[in-house]
Amino acid sequence: MKKAGMKKYSHLYYEGTDSTLNICELASYMRGKTGMDVDMRGNVIPQDKDTQDFLAQEFAMARVINPQKEELNTAPLSAEIGYESRLLLHQKHSGLLYDGFCLQKIFRSILPGGEHNLAHAHIIITSRLFGTFEDNRYHARVAVFGAPSIISLTGLIEAPAKPREFYLRKQFGQDIPGLLKEFKDRLLDYNDSRIIEVLKGYLMQSFFYHVSGNPFCDDPHCRLYNAHWQEEVIFAQIGGEYEFCQRHEQGNLHHRDTEARRE
Amino acid sequence: MTQERIFAKVGEKDVTRAIVSEFLTQFNEYVESDCLIIGGGPSGLIAGRELAMHGRRVLIVERNNYLGGGFWIGGYLMNKVTFRHPAEEVLDELGVPYKESIPGLFVADGPHATSKLIAAACDAGVKFAQMTVFDDLVLREENQVCGAVINWTPIQALPREITCVDPVAMETRVVIDCTGHDACCVKKLEERGLFKTKGFGAMWVEASEDLVVEHTGLVHAGLIVAGMAVATTYGLPRMGPTFGAMLLSGKRAAEAAEKQLQG
Repeated sequence: MKKAGMKKYSHLYYEGTDSTLNICELASYMRGKTGMDVDMRGNVIPQDKDTQDFLAQEFAMARVINPQKEELNTAPLSAEIGYESRLLLHQKHSGLLYDGFCLQKIFRSILPGGEHNLAHAHIIITSRLFGTFEDNRYHARVAVFGAPSIISLTGLIEAPAKPREFYLRKQFGQDIPGLLKEFKDRLLDYNDSRIIEVLKGYLMQSFFYHVSGNPFCDDPHCRLYNAHWQEEVIFAQIGGEYEFCQRHEQGNLHHRDTEARRE
Repeated sequence: MTQERIFAKVGEKDVTRAIVSEFLTQFNEYVESDCLIIGGGPSGLIAGRELAMHGRRVLIVERNNYLGGGFWIGGYLMNKVTFRHPAEEVLDELGVPYKESIPGLFVADGPHATSKLIAAACDAGVKFAQMTVFDDLVLREENQVCGAVINWTPIQALPREITCVDPVAMETRVVIDCTGHDACCVKKLEERGLFKTKGFGAMWVEASEDLVVEHTGLVHAGLIVAGMAVATTYGLPRMGPTFGAMLLSGKRAAEAAEKQLQG
């Protein structure tokens, strides 16, 4: 009998998200799909003041000041650090843009030291908006995969492009709340009940990154599709003919079997 | 038979003396103040009003002959100004009529809102130096801001080669920079290598109002930054034609100034 390899664990955290986010549902979904041991670890930010002071400074330094330049806020001012401290304390939505790889590094520094290895997949759902610098400017992102993988709730709304007509009509002065209402089937908005379903797909992308190094699929119906438009996100996560393409469904199955053999 | 006049008989010299003596008395009195506010836009006016209501001696320096800055006109030269909740509470305080455009968004007449705000500042006891341009900061030991150097605005229009009109200095206990995107006072610190402003980012109404209010406060010993100068100082997104943050930032700046004055 083939010997099963190292047992894998996934750990879910949140940071600054609103309390309506059902982490339980996400964990249960991931457990069911992958067979992994998925636990919910709550708020990723440690509650001791010294660590929070350190993190406030680190987050202030990870701010993107000018989206056209790959320069970060290397010398944060006291008000910026103070603002970050208040964010950590009150867990509010911030509205700033951070460098995604810097955020990943900051979060990595507060994860348990003994779990920095391939057996543990850490996934952090945050309300911070982050981006990566490519083609001479920062692009907002939904997720940055790695150790840990970070998924942005704000990024879900702000990063994938809205329908072209939305921008055109906005440019002609049409009121934004009206447009959001009119286009609601074609884009995600804040406090959208579909977000939980959409997040499941990004969790699975994190999982596939962890086990294979490739989080994406070319099939627009598959939850792993690397969507650039809101409509593509909604289609891949909710409207597709199937949850996963055949190849990735088999990948899930294979992983479930492997995990079951380890039990 | 003598014809009855409507107005009292007053000579030209009397008119001139009344202007000069009143102006000089006030100017002399405010050469030393509790708070010097540079910029008579909405954030400066509200900050001045709050401080004057606490019995503080406040002088607002304004480079134009009119007060109110950009508050008279909203976006695209249209004279309706918008506010997001909870800024309508300040309108209630000032007695400015408004209507709710959509839930959470309020619209008022620019001229009505501005004139009420100016009147409220005057009623509270704020004094003004219009047509007066901020030239520099007064710095003392350890670069503590202790005042501002000012001059008449028209002096700026004279060619430097043929004129040398020295400015005068005003002493104060705290300066508030309400000069909008120019952030003139903070920029003076930057010229001396005492500070580094970060410019301002792209327009993002949703996020920037909160950020401007949250970052309002002491930026250097003796100097508080408020209004859109906050965005320039900290590299925050621009705001667009919404004014709630200007009012709340002005209030926050007054709180910070009061703390300095009591300290």
